[in-house]
Amino acid sequence: MQKIIRWIVLISLVVVALAPILPQFVWSFSHRWLFPSLLPSEWSLEPWEYAFSTSSRVGEAFISSMAIGIVVSLLSIIVGLPASRALALYDFRGKSVIEWLLMVPIIVPGIVATMGIHQVFIRLRLTDTFIGVCLVHLIPCIPYMVLVMSSVFANYGTDLEDTARTLGAGPVSVFRYVTLPGILPGLLVSTMFTFLISWGQYITTVLIGGGSIITLPMVLFPFIAGTNYSNAASISLIFVAPAILVLIFTSRQLGRESAVMGGFGKL
Amino acid sequence: MTTVVLRDLTRRFGNVTAVDRLNLEIASGELVAFLGPSGCGKTTTLRMITGLLLPISGDVLFDGKSMITVPTEKRGAVMVFQKHLLFPTMNVGQNVGFGLRMQGVEKKEMNRRVSEILELVKLPGFENRRAHELSGGQQQRVALARALVVRPKVLLLDEPLANLDANLRLEMRELIRSIQREMGISSVFVTHDQEEAVMLADRIALMFDGVLQQYDVPQAFYQKPLSTRVAHFFRNDNALAGTRRGDVVETALGTLRVDAARVQQPDGQVLVTVRPEDVRLNPEAGSPNCIQAKVLLVVYMGTHTQLQLDVGGHTWLVHSDADFQARVGETIPIELPASRLWLLPAN
Amino acid sequence: MRFLTLMEKLRVPLMIFPAVALICVLFFGGLTVGLGQSLGYFPAIGSYNLTFQYYSDVLTDSTFFESLWLTFRLALLSTVSSSVLAIGIAMVLRQSFKGSRFFTFMFQLSIPIPHLVAAAGIVLLVSQSGLTARIAYALGLINVPRDFPVMVFDRPGIAIQLTYLWKEVPFIGVVVLAVLQGVGPQYEEIARTLGANAWQRFRYVLLPLIMPGVLSTSIIVFAYVFSSYEIPLLLGVRYPTTLPVLAFKNYQDPDLSLRPQAMAMSIILTVIAVLLLVIYKRLAKYAVNS
Repeated sequence: MQKIIRWIVLISLVVVALAPILPQFVWSFSHRWLFPSLLPSEWSLEPWEYAFSTSSRVGEAFISSMAIGIVVSLLSIIVGLPASRALALYDFRGKSVIEWLLMVPIIVPGIVATMGIHQVFIRLRLTDTFIGVCLVHLIPCIPYMVLVMSSVFANYGTDLEDTARTLGAGPVSVFRYVTLPGILPGLLVSTMFTFLISWGQYITTVLIGGGSIITLPMVLFPFIAGTNYSNAASISLIFVAPAILVLIFTSRQLGRESAVMGGFGKL
Repeated sequence: MTTVVLRDLTRRFGNVTAVDRLNLEIASGELVAFLGPSGCGKTTTLRMITGLLLPISGDVLFDGKSMITVPTEKRGAVMVFQKHLLFPTMNVGQNVGFGLRMQGVEKKEMNRRVSEILELVKLPGFENRRAHELSGGQQQRVALARALVVRPKVLLLDEPLANLDANLRLEMRELIRSIQREMGISSVFVTHDQEEAVMLADRIALMFDGVLQQYDVPQAFYQKPLSTRVAHFFRNDNALAGTRRGDVVETALGTLRVDAARVQQPDGQVLVTVRPEDVRLNPEAGSPNCIQAKVLLVVYMGTHTQLQLDVGGHTWLVHSDADFQARVGETIPIELPASRLWLLPAN
Repeated sequence: MRFLTLMEKLRVPLMIFPAVALICVLFFGGLTVGLGQSLGYFPAIGSYNLTFQYYSDVLTDSTFFESLWLTFRLALLSTVSSSVLAIGIAMVLRQSFKGSRFFTFMFQLSIPIPHLVAAAGIVLLVSQSGLTARIAYALGLINVPRDFPVMVFDRPGIAIQLTYLWKEVPFIGVVVLAVLQGVGPQYEEIARTLGANAWQRFRYVLLPLIMPGVLSTSIIVFAYVFSSYEIPLLLGVRYPTTLPVLAFKNYQDPDLSLRPQAMAMSIILTVIAVLLLVIYKRLAKYAVNS
């Protein structure tokens, strides 16, 4: 009985997981696909040809999305790693205030701060620039990085680092040979999350990028809104591809590394 | 009051036989120790008694009734784990009352029984403390109370004292012993510490590699071990090869008399063994069963002195009085009292 | 020596400074500017006087309350149903069985997929001419698209909620799964020997253990849905729409005098979000202490 329930759950899980994705493959090869046919009446490579043409700006958008995502992830690591270590391993005055400061951006709608900062960016001439968009993406990314990595640091502790130091390792060696390998699985997962948060940003990019910086969601949005599902599908799939690659890369950590996912449970 | 019978109990993990055709009876109210090195199958056996693990073959009977088809939660065999493992989301009172709550016992009655049992484990009034506020010993007592409050048919303790320091362990041993006696619960505890097993248990089941080696009262493991392995586990490696003929054993070092009524090996090849504390040093001249031994090492142990002797090519350990004097390299006479000799099968 | 103690003292401030500085400038800076504008400090249109006018404008407008109610309802429903489903699926996936790694992978599949793509997929699936409607037609359940229940551009926002469910159930589930794996089987075994049946073991042993994780992730999910912009814009009705959409519409309006109102809405949104976090923190503390 329990087995039957399990398999019902598992099979519906697979169906539900794939149902919004797989039909988009079919749509991306369709020219005409009207109700009520279950398969397209006319097949075509047009949606893909369009996606790869320069006029669609998909290629350009892909590159800027990727560049923004990478820059934002790196900045989040550089800025977030020391902060999460401090929060995880040291006690200091005002710690709970700092924790609050770094947590609130997760809770408060991103659009709120973005509308405010927009005015400042106009004056600083940061609107319509790559840097401006990266900065505004950092608002949600840094808190997530800190949230996950402080859990990872707390879980890893300092015993191994202390041992290495008594064995004669300097700060750089300790980081290189002890700390980094220890936190790497967690760092991979949190970097993936950070990248994907940036990768999926829509309205903040629209506002700050002002049309000069085109990212993939901005190219995709009009096709969904305009019910041009064939083109939407091909662009969607291009939009999804790196994300799926990242998941395949990190899924083992996702399933196993309880400290990493536990980080989300410690808001 | 429950008797427990294990009949041909067998469990394999992959190719490894963790427990092999185990047969054992636990009398009502008895406290039995499962003793053996880690990986010998003692915890596996415990888990099969609870039903958390099902045997591949064999049976577990409580009061003559087969328990194989009875799920764990209906067996009334309660387990106390090695780590105290109090539910971290509950306070002490809720932890102890857990089993009663599961049975749907009325709240008033539950509180009464909880405070009663907390008194028994010497933690009166601890109901509202949280688990992490307690010391290791206190946590262990709460875990014990949580098990006892449901009045289990069988109480199972998996290395209950392993995480406690030496003094606390002694205290807990006495507490467990007195409560178990008082309540008359048939109990099993698992340990790898032979001293603990000897002090606590009515009977000890010694296991190696999933096989029951000897099941008897504690004294038997010292005085009448069934094999050299059992003797070795109880720290007796003193052995001398010989041939038994009636009430004498011929050895390379001379003829030794044995108590024919006491020893069990038939005539033929045997090993003569005697416990370190039973060997007599400085025997009177002309005493029977005297042999010569060479002193290899003298170690002062406080309450006694331990000698390492070369006896016919075997290294023996012998305990003497604390003030016994001997020089390394000297040859001394030792007496092996006939009433203390035990014969093991020659391998 | 003195240098070393100084370094020791400066270590923590140096470690947290970059993150705190960036968040303070970008996030709290933005918030402060927004707060200023909502109170009427808006040099661009020559307004310097502080006033609560815009808040009273917003708070007397029924559009605002309809949007607030819609946003709140969407967030609450998505969060509660995601949590319940996530716990159920995590309970199945934690068991060890053949192929459990494959199914865990499939479960995680939607985590990295952008919300926009999920929205497109859901439309293709549940619109009146979508795949489900076509299957219903093939099965003879409906004759024309109109017979199929409206789930896109509908007032209840079914497609919006399906999108969030599809995205957030795995997110909560993966966290619950991680907690469950950290817990191990022993608490349940103890409970079992003490006479707890399967339901009691879940209700009294496991649920309290996973509840902090569930609460924490569900507040993240709630906040996410609460601040949702593109999904309700794509899949929802024009009116009423969610609060972020309404605020942004006012912000983008050529009539600059609507901006302070947009900011007032944002600040109210922020206050609600922070209040929720405070309540959650209290709840979590209470749950731990009682």
